[in-house]
Order: sequence, then C-alpha cells, then structure tokens
Amino acid sequence: MAMLEVRDIDLAYGPIRAVTGVSIRVEQGEVVAIVGANGAGKSTLLKSIAGLLPLSGGSIHFEDADISTLPAHRRVGAGIALSPEGRQVFPDQTVRDNLELGAWSRRLNVGDLAAAVEQKYTLFPRLRERQGQMAMTLSGGEQQMLAIARALMGAPRLLLLDEPSLGLAPLVIRDIFLTIRKLRAAGMTVLLVEQMANLALGIADRAYVLETGRVTLSGTGAELLQHPQVRAAYLGH
Amino acid sequence: MLATWLQALVSGLAIGGVYALIALSFSITFTTTKTLNFSQGEFIGVGAFLGVAVLYLLSGQDEGAALAPGASAGFNYPLAAIAVGAAVGVIGILLFITAVRPFAGKPGMSWVMSTIGFGIILQSIGLAIWGPAPVNLPSPFGDDVIRIAGAGVRPQEILVLVVAIVLMIGLDLLLRRTRMGKAMRAVANNPSVAALMGINVSAVMIGAFALSSALAGIGGLLVAPIASASIFMGLGIALKAFSGAIVGGLDNPRGCIFGGFALGLLEASVALWQAQWREIVIFLLIILVLAIRPQGLFGARTLDKV
Ligand SMILES: Nc1ncnc2c1ncn2[C@@H]1O[C@H](COP(=O)(O)OP(=O)(O)OP(=O)(O)O)[C@@H](O)[C@H]1O
Ligand SMILES: [Mg+2]
Repeated sequence: MAMLEVRDIDLAYGPIRAVTGVSIRVEQGEVVAIVGANGAGKSTLLKSIAGLLPLSGGSIHFEDADISTLPAHRRVGAGIALSPEGRQVFPDQTVRDNLELGAWSRRLNVGDLAAAVEQKYTLFPRLRERQGQMAMTLSGGEQQMLAIARALMGAPRLLLLDEPSLGLAPLVIRDIFLTIRKLRAAGMTVLLVEQMANLALGIADRAYVLETGRVTLSGTGAELLQHPQVRAAYLGH
Repeated sequence: MLATWLQALVSGLAIGGVYALIALSFSITFTTTKTLNFSQGEFIGVGAFLGVAVLYLLSGQDEGAALAPGASAGFNYPLAAIAVGAAVGVIGILLFITAVRPFAGKPGMSWVMSTIGFGIILQSIGLAIWGPAPVNLPSPFGDDVIRIAGAGVRPQEILVLVVAIVLMIGLDLLLRRTRMGKAMRAVANNPSVAALMGINVSAVMIGAFALSSALAGIGGLLVAPIASASIFMGLGIALKAFSGAIVGGLDNPRGCIFGGFALGLLEASVALWQAQWREIVIFLLIILVLAIRPQGLFGARTLDKV
C-alpha cells in the first residue's frame, strides 16, 4: 500500500465546498506535486492531510493506518509535517526557538534537541547565522527556509510543502528547490503544492492537477509538462 | 510629610502588586485564547474565603469564632496559598470547559456573557456558604505596624509586594525561558500552526485558564488581610487590574505588570491628596491614555482586531 492514500475526500469551510471527491496517493520516496490555479483547493487539501480541517467525506490513510480523525497535534508524531503556505513562522520567537518548537512532539532531551537543530543548520547555513534573531526580522527566503527546517524538526517521513516559492526571488527559489532535491536524495517523501507549475513538474516523480476542488489530470511530472492542457493553462504556452 | 509619602508609596506598591498580578492573569488567558475571564473578581473573593476555610482546618480552630491572629503563622499561610491556588485553578478549568470553550474562536462575544454568568453563579454559591459579611484573615506576620523612617507599614503590605514580585518574575521566566512557555506563546500567536508543531492546543488553553485563575485566588488570599475580605471584594480589584492591563497593553505581560503597579501607586498618591477624588482621577487618566494609545502603552494590537 502507498505511504499516503487520500480516498475520495470532501472538504468544506462551513457551507462552502472547497474540495470534492479527491483521491491522491504518495509512495515512499516519491516527490509528488499538486498544481492548480488560485483557489483550486491545494492548501485546503494539505491542511486536511495535516489534520487542520475535518473531512466531510472520504478517508486518509498513512502507513496503513486510518488517520482521518487523528487530531492535528498527533499527526506530527505519526510522521507527517506541514510547512504551511506563507511560512507562518512564530514572529516573536527566535530562529532557534522556532526550530525547537518544531520538535515539540518528539520530547527530546537537551543534547538530542541541540543535535537536531545543528543538523538543520547544516542544511540551511543561513539559519545558523541568524539563530538568535527574531523570526519576524528574517527575509522572506530565510523565513521559508525556517518554515521548512521547522517542519523537518518533527522528523517526518512525509513532508508537506505549501508553495515554498511564494513571493521569493528566482535565485532563492532555486535554492529551495535544490534543498528539496537534497531531501529526496536523503530518502524523504515530499508532497509539494506549487503555483510555479514548471518548477513543480520538473522536480516531481508524479503530479496531480487540481481545478476547482477536483483532480482533473494526473501523471508523471514529465508527462504533465508535455500535456497540452497543462501547457495552455499553467505554463503559458 | 516624607513619612506620609513613604507610607503611600508602600501601600501603593502593595496594592499595585495585586493589581499587577491580576492584570497578568487577564493577559495569560487573553494571549493564549483571545478571551478573558470576566469573573476574575469573584475568583478573588472565593480565593480569600477558601483561604479562610483552609486556615480554620489547619489551625484546628472552631468555625464559630473569628480566626485567631496566629492562625496564619508558620506553614499555614503558604499551605493555604497552595491549596487555594489548586482549588481556584480547578474552578478555572471548569469555567473554561463550560463557559469559554463552547464560544472561543467563534464570531461574537458570547464568552463575555458566559464568564460573567459563571461569576454570578460562583458568587451566589459563595454567599450561600459563607454569607455576605466580611471575614478576618490574619496576616502571617501579625498586624503590628512597622516603623520605617517614621512611616507606618503593615507587614502584610510588604509580604504582598514580595510575593507578587516573586510570582511575576517566575511567570516571566516561565514564558520566556522554558519550552512550556515558548509553546504557550506559540499557541497565543497562531493556534493552528502550534498544533502543526505537535502542541496540544486545548491542553495549553486549559493550562492557561488554570494558571490565570490560580493567580486570582492567590491574589485574594494576599489582599484579604489588608482589605476587608468579603465575597464582593474582588470586583473592585479586578476592575482596577483590568484597567491596568488595558493601560499597559493586554497582549504584553510586562506591560500589564507595569499598568498594575502604575495604577496602585497613582491610587495611593491621589488618596493622599483627596481620597474622594481617587476613582475619578484614575479613570479619567485611563480614558486619556486610551484616547492617545488605544492598544495600551506597550500593546501591539488594538482590541477591536480580536
Ligand atoms: N478559511 C477559509 N474560509 C472559507 N473559505 C476558504 C478558507 N480558506 C480557503 N477557502 C476557500 O476554499 C477554496 C480553496 O482555497 P485554497 O486556499 O485551498 O486554494 P489554493 O489552491 O491553495 O489557492 P492559492 O494558490 O491561492 O493558495 C477557495 O475558494 C477559498 O476561497
Ligand atoms: Mg494555497
């Protein structure tokens, strides 16, 4: 069975339907992308996988367990971490404190916690330089690195990334995507939501296209890059 | 002249310490849950009466007579403080579950009414058990006035100030230095993202209400020996403390502490001049401060953004 299986889920904000009958699957070690226009329901889908939004229908399975009703704060411990859209770092806490909070569910002792932080600094050396700084004083790119590093502090087996390129300069975006490749090489499984369809499809093993809350296309990253519908709608060709 | 000023300074600091403590207790629930316990005043009164009840038990005295001056001596008073903190903390959890959680995070301000209602129920129960009359809660250090540079200072005033400061420093360290405090601040800042870290947000909110309520209860036990301790005494204190919190900035714990002390000192110095003008001057000043800085002196957000 796949590492993550989302089966026919419906999601709503009160009376407003955001996602209808979506099924996706992520295999161990894959990078899977979800692309789609503004308001398609990409973030909503990731939030429900992270447990922030209750299902109105369907079910979510992770590593053979039905996690449909598992509360958000227990999904990190189960192995799923989300780096949310718009970074959402804790602005009035330092870089190091943000990272330490990411490991809350692991209940590490002081030594192991410091080692885990150190490991993230190796991945993002910029964060080490800024470790004593309040998160709100970081640049957008640094905040994005912090958000990803903070999610990794939970030692997830499945990393959910919501629009890591949002509002960043091309060079910074390249860095972030290089990091995603490094993580994949180290064995991490990634579910990536991106509006930059070319970048996302370029890195993804497989991908899904989401339109107004439904999956309309799926295939390998390479297939979708060539797909006329995708090229017209998301790649501007 | 110097002696009177010194005396006013000490009593201003003592009552200011209580205001600061209660102001901080408002801030604790406000920052973590965006709600306030509007029955904090009743919690103060109930804290004082529970303290009296515990002291009767500890000193083995008969309930018929007023507490003997020695009833608070030795370990009795600190033990009473722990018992009151625990008991009122539990009442706070009850308040959160019944009157706050059903409404928190939803539009509207139903929790204002429900917490006031909870306080009225609590007060009625208190009245049924203890009656409306003030009780005597002896200070652990007696009532003999100490002379400092000619000023008469009551030992309890010093005790109130010291305990309030120790508690506030402890809380400040808790919030800033410990993992628990950092998690509380994360919940305050963004509950959903805090949950993504694995933090049990409702547990933290329950803890915040327990802590806030325990502070109110202990505050009651602290002021009872210098005020006349009736079941109604908390209302005025809570109102002043709330004003102090608003003036200092409800979302800034240190601002709240400042606001509480400022109010206590102001109250004591205006009282030196004209006691009957005290409340008028204080509330005019509060209105003036808020007209200039609606978010309070050290607050970051305005209240209506809640
Ligand atoms: N908190 C909310 N309350 C009500 N409706 C919401 C809420 N969040 C999102 N929606 C609605 O749900 C739909 C899907 O939103 P979602 O944020 O998942 O889109 P998205 O694909 O992530 O878009 P973007 O690329 O702009 O981030 C949209 O119609 C949006 O208006
Ligand atoms: Mg989105």
